[in-house]
Amino acid sequence: MNKYFSTKMSIFVFATPALLLFTVFCVYPLVPEIWMSLQKHNGFQSLGFVGLDNYKAIFASSSFWTAHKNTYLIVGISLLLGIPLSMTLALFMEIQTPRLRRFFKSAAMFPAILSVTVVAQIWLAFYEPNWGLFNSILRAIGMDSWTHSWLTEKNTVMLSIGLTFLWQYIGLNAMLFYTGIKTIPKSYYEAALIDGANFAQVCMRITIPLLQNIIKYVLILSTLGSMAFYSHVRVMTAGGPGDKSRTVIYQMYYTAFDTSEFGKGTAIAVVFILECLLISFLIQRFVARDKLEF
Amino acid sequence: MKYISRIFWIALGCTFLFPLYWMISIALKSKSEAYENPFGIPSSWKWQNFSEALSKYNYFTYLENSLIYTLGTIAITLASGSMLAYCLSRMQWRFNSSALFYVSLGLIVPIEVVVIPLFQLIKLLHLKDSYWALILPYSGFAIASCVLMLYAFLRSLPKELEEAACIDGTNVYQAFFKIIFPIIMPALVTQCVLIFIRIWNEFPLAFIIASKDQFRPLTVGLLSFFVNVGVSDWGLIGATMFLSSLPMIIVYMIGNEKIENALTAGAILK
Repeated sequence: MNKYFSTKMSIFVFATPALLLFTVFCVYPLVPEIWMSLQKHNGFQSLGFVGLDNYKAIFASSSFWTAHKNTYLIVGISLLLGIPLSMTLALFMEIQTPRLRRFFKSAAMFPAILSVTVVAQIWLAFYEPNWGLFNSILRAIGMDSWTHSWLTEKNTVMLSIGLTFLWQYIGLNAMLFYTGIKTIPKSYYEAALIDGANFAQVCMRITIPLLQNIIKYVLILSTLGSMAFYSHVRVMTAGGPGDKSRTVIYQMYYTAFDTSEFGKGTAIAVVFILECLLISFLIQRFVARDKLEF
Repeated sequence: MKYISRIFWIALGCTFLFPLYWMISIALKSKSEAYENPFGIPSSWKWQNFSEALSKYNYFTYLENSLIYTLGTIAITLASGSMLAYCLSRMQWRFNSSALFYVSLGLIVPIEVVVIPLFQLIKLLHLKDSYWALILPYSGFAIASCVLMLYAFLRSLPKELEEAACIDGTNVYQAFFKIIFPIIMPALVTQCVLIFIRIWNEFPLAFIIASKDQFRPLTVGLLSFFVNVGVSDWGLIGATMFLSSLPMIIVYMIGNEKIENALTAGAILK
């Protein structure tokens, strides 16, 4: 019967719209991206073919490396702090009373549905040096020497923005883990209980190993999400002080749209796409290769 | 011990809600009170920040634009995505598996990295000053996860579903709309919620492409408003932030459960 439905015409009608949209707006832009990266381009017209000069120029610029350091700092924060913390929240959520759990779930997901502009602007007030929340608290408990001008000092700026990002998505990740925990059959826990295992042992030996599919999913989501980190920086510091809080995407935007060096901007993008592909490949290759079935 | 842990969890939950409280409380304070008492409860409720926000901030323009972008993207993505997913999972086409692989590549590259060529492409297609300038790229990028999720859903359905329709002499289009569409509704609702949250809050692409004020969505309009006001009038800023978040807060309060399920559905399927 599927043969009866699968005429050339019907396949064409069903497959074309989505494939066309996907190709034109998602895949095709990679072609002019690579082509533009080999030219001197001011956004309106090409000023001549320059070969790999744009790549040489961006590799020689210190802003490019600062941007990489910042982007991978954010990736590091969300993988090394974000994932363990949200996993901990999810594990402990399981042993709360249902009412408390419902409250916590709704509250923890709330920041993730707010727009970046709003969240970043709110945290701008928290970091404000004179009357902001953090400095006010530090002064109130007598730790005046710990106060900082969080977003204008080059040592604190990226960590401060990273904390905002961490806070915004940690609840969502915890919910993803918690949903995964719910799908683990109860019989595994009953067996462990009979053997006299405690909470920590159950978490380490049963829950976390059986969550590897979800862990992989969250890992990919967090990695690619933090690789593309841009909006918080735009609202909170506009890359400042100097170039100290620019991420790779920010550096790409800045190079293309603020200095009209579209060739160099696309060169940054091409290098970065290769990094994204490499990282996705590494995760696919080395994390949780066998799909678990219960 | 039990109480300590309970208090700890309530406190932790409150840290996630604190910005909501702060947004509302600062919006109700006068300019001077916002500086003297930025985080406390307002001494008296002043509503003039809201009336000032509504007169100075193009709230309804931005709101309308956000709605157009979001609903347009949802309509186009769900319509074209469900058709492709149906084709890939139920039809006999030589390129089924390669097409599926091709579409899944869309999950790897974030939309931000192709902003520059997209910007050029939009100019080339003369879409620059229209709503299509964002709706079409958004749809192109939303299609990958939509198709993969619906594909997994359709694969789990029994093959005999359309057989009855086949005997009745229904053609494939009628079968799709009358039989398949209602069945995949739950998955469509999930995708609808996911796309809604993503596009409603999308910032990087809109920031570059919607450069004219009349086409700006809330996220970008809000930032340009902040830049104009500067950091002098936090009461006004609070009011605009609250107004801009209000649609999402209402949606979240009504569809809390649905949103939660949608956001976590992807994790289970993978």
